[in-house]
Amino acid sequence: MAANPMHQFNVYRIGPEIKIGQIDISFTNASLFMIISVISIIIIFNLGSKKKSIIPNKIQLLAELSYSFVSKMINDTAGSKAKPYFSFIFSLFMFVLFCNMFGMIPYSFTVTSHIIVTFVLASFIFIGVTVIGFLKHGLGYLKLFVPSGVPIILLPLIVIIEIISYLSRPISLSVRLFANMMAGHTMMKVFGGFVISLGIVGGWLPLSFSVALTGLEILVAFLQAYVFAILTCIYLNDALNLHH
Amino acid sequence: MDEDQFKTRLKIAKNKIDSKKINKNKSNHGSYLGVAFKMSTELVAAVVVGTIIGFILDNWFGTKPWLILLFFFLGVATGILNVIKSAKKMNK
Repeated sequence: MAANPMHQFNVYRIGPEIKIGQIDISFTNASLFMIISVISIIIIFNLGSKKKSIIPNKIQLLAELSYSFVSKMINDTAGSKAKPYFSFIFSLFMFVLFCNMFGMIPYSFTVTSHIIVTFVLASFIFIGVTVIGFLKHGLGYLKLFVPSGVPIILLPLIVIIEIISYLSRPISLSVRLFANMMAGHTMMKVFGGFVISLGIVGGWLPLSFSVALTGLEILVAFLQAYVFAILTCIYLNDALNLHH
Repeated sequence: MDEDQFKTRLKIAKNKIDSKKINKNKSNHGSYLGVAFKMSTELVAAVVVGTIIGFILDNWFGTKPWLILLFFFLGVATGILNVIKSAKKMNK
């Protein structure tokens, strides 16, 4: 009866086992939910951009609102130079948001609650931003590690600290998303378990807590997608406009 | 009579706008939550990365406990610096 609260994070195989050499690439529930969120994003934005009426219907409004939301976010944080990267940041934001939101449906699987998924996303951003920085500024990009106005004696220490800070970016980016999603879902499961074990007499308190927690989790799901996208913009800003 | 009615309606409408503004301020608290998460993970991630770098360098040079100790404290310093930096950015 007392379900394991971590059971919801199990990855299991759906369908036949597929192997290339030693690597297992079988279709799992994680891949299923990634595909579901990607397909629903494609459907919503195809429907939303199909009619192009002046008075938008609901789906068109949704598509336009999310477009202007991300566009404004990029403009505010990274400036007009970051416009070419709009499509990447937009799809990143939408993917993380939809994965988080699909995870809120009972009995579904939260893709972003696995650190390997978020870490791959974050390291992709990290490598991409580093490459962009070196392409735009050449070796001058290394000036990022040497802040101006530092006395010579302190310089070696500061350079090491800046390098550690730069390298910690993908880790803080991925751990934040993963920890938030995993902690929230585990907590919801634990309180759900309390409802059952306390029965009809004492179960109402954890039940009401569970309801409140669901609202909070939906907020966190949106917020973490937003934070993920806005930090990508900030890192991109560092790479594009070096003088900061 | 008509003017009075108009005035009361104007008042109600203005009150509505005011209450909406308060709601907007409330929704801003959500992004403060995001900032709090950001700071805490930055602090932890820098310590972790510093320790990992120290561990790898120790294995390379064979100076077992010393570099990991040094880089652990460097990581702590980095984490605190990062938090101070983002706090300064918020105050702008």
